[in-house]
Amino acid sequence: MSLVRAERRRFIKRRMIVWTLVIFVGLLTTIGSIVFFTTEKVTPAARAAAQAQADREYQRVMDEYQRCQESPTERCQGMPEPQREWFQAEYFMPPTFNFRNDADDFIIAWAILLAMFSFIIGASFVGAEWRSGAMMNLLTWRPKRMQVLGTKLSVLLGWLTVVGAVTFGLWTAALVGIASAHGTMERMTNGAWQSYGLTGLRGLAMILAFGALGFGLASIGRHIGLALGVALGVIILGQFGLTLVLRMAEVHYPEQYLIPYHMQAWMEKRVEIGDPFAAPGIEAPTKIISFGESGSIGLGVVAWYWRWRSTPCAGAISPPRRSRHSLGRVAAACAAATVGLWLTRSGRPPAGGCWR
Amino acid sequence: MVPDMTSVLEINGLRKTYRARGGPRRALDGFDMQVEAGQVHGFLGPNGSGKTTTLRTLLGLIRADGGRMRVLGQELPKALPKVVGQVGAIVESPQFFGSFTARDTLSLLCDAGNLPQARVGWALELVGLSERSKDRVKTFSLGMKQRLAVASALLKQPRLLILDEPANGLDPGGIREMREMMARLSASGMTVVLSSHILSEIQIICDNVTIISLGKRVAAGPVSEVLAAHSTGQVKVAVEAVTDLPTAANVLANAGISVQQDADHLMVSGVDKPASISRLLAERQIYVSELTPVSADLESVFLELTGTMPVPGQHRSVDDSVKVTQA
Repeated sequence: MSLVRAERRRFIKRRMIVWTLVIFVGLLTTIGSIVFFTTEKVTPAARAAAQAQADREYQRVMDEYQRCQESPTERCQGMPEPQREWFQAEYFMPPTFNFRNDADDFIIAWAILLAMFSFIIGASFVGAEWRSGAMMNLLTWRPKRMQVLGTKLSVLLGWLTVVGAVTFGLWTAALVGIASAHGTMERMTNGAWQSYGLTGLRGLAMILAFGALGFGLASIGRHIGLALGVALGVIILGQFGLTLVLRMAEVHYPEQYLIPYHMQAWMEKRVEIGDPFAAPGIEAPTKIISFGESGSIGLGVVAWYWRWRSTPCAGAISPPRRSRHSLGRVAAACAAATVGLWLTRSGRPPAGGCWR
Repeated sequence: MVPDMTSVLEINGLRKTYRARGGPRRALDGFDMQVEAGQVHGFLGPNGSGKTTTLRTLLGLIRADGGRMRVLGQELPKALPKVVGQVGAIVESPQFFGSFTARDTLSLLCDAGNLPQARVGWALELVGLSERSKDRVKTFSLGMKQRLAVASALLKQPRLLILDEPANGLDPGGIREMREMMARLSASGMTVVLSSHILSEIQIICDNVTIISLGKRVAAGPVSEVLAAHSTGQVKVAVEAVTDLPTAANVLANAGISVQQDADHLMVSGVDKPASISRLLAERQIYVSELTPVSADLESVFLELTGTMPVPGQHRSVDDSVKVTQA
């Protein structure tokens, strides 16, 4: 427990962590403020004004249509007869915040922002300790390395859960406040609240996963820079580069190989993607990426990596060396595993039992 | 080997090989060391001789390839978690997170070690950092970081204190304070293992020394015995008139004494009683103005044992030490 206490204190004393959280809260406040100041409540007067404007617009277009009928000009060619339903009052209403329709988007924004910051916090929490040598100093006090790292990771995830839960609560309160003042809370049934809560829980899981990922990468490289470098590499090579390659190779449904779509599927429960390379004249069916599928891929990669680390294979380098000197192998193997899993969807290693 | 009950630290046949691009490099090659309770024990060796590897292995920071280690009667590394609370250590340069204050740094270590927070102030006072305790570590000079490192090692009030180059970066006053602190700690019953390149300090502070070269022990024992074992037994002889030096050299040589003549003195060796030199020369009316036994100091013994004596016009590589077959 003493180590937990020390790590808990260390977490909140770290200036980078505190500033990262301050920036995160600042960003949420900015988003909330923009939404607040650009929306307004729909009053009967506003509805009447919107109706009046819709009527005026309909009348203006109808007048123009009739002029065209009487004396057609080049400009009138192909002009359809205006229909009344094209000019509904809703189209002329001021922006308003409908909690039922809009809140999910803002929860996704919260989750993605905090996941990014959690990655940085996770990498910094252990990476800066390794880089400064403070970790080696700590190990002369607590020589069980895995216990120290495990405690640090647990404390990190514990704090991220607290930060996630508190900011989720505050963000929800802010959105409810905006909806009450400048929108509506209509149709927020128990089921709607339950769905909203589950979206928040999936967001929290994603936040914790990113925190652990940053922590893990910085632990392997013993530097925060490695984690940030890998993140940058994944964005540049794994996303932009992969997108380019997939499009050049005319791979069907290329989005299914891109991480952002899986993050979106995880948060929104499903994402529908099309096939830009379907045969001409054939309407290709859309494909659904479900959150279960995306979550399974994430879990599969973690499970495979764990197995890769713990299962000895013929020709593989010994564990003590591998842990420090084979970052390239780890990165290459992770990439290969990810692609392999996605392609085969079987979750099983190829013949021979190892991907190494 | 039967463990000595008064031994605080015992190392037998310790081996460690690093894999390097140029092929395996043997850092420890059957190294032995023994430190008795209450000693201030000097641990000496040239750069790359295996000192830090030994200390890092002891503290569980790296794994040995072979050999045995016992600390406070417990077998390492198995019992390290059990004894680590009684071992205070700084290894290599002081390593702290720069953005924390000195007080925070020690306070967090106290928490990690489940120690009372009252020790933070005590340790800072002991190393003279009380007034800078609220400053961030990154604003500290090397000497101040060194003091903080010593304070962190003392927090545990350990039975065995391992200090790697504790005087590194300290000013002369700080070195003297450190020396006095070692003496106080030793007097209070603490065993101190001190690795340093300031050999004059080691000679003053330490009761015993172990000298390592190329991963092997090349000398060990009480400082006085190590010095005596490597003393040349030479006597410097000067006479009243420098012109008498050739005659004096002849007289001593005729008496069967080995003599080497320098510009203004003779270096005489193989003499049991230096007084016999005075007597022999006085019989020829040559009067001695200086008769000084030449004693070895730790620096010259160290340079001789490790083969690291500088030679004018030659450059020495860090690995150019002497390989000694037995201690």
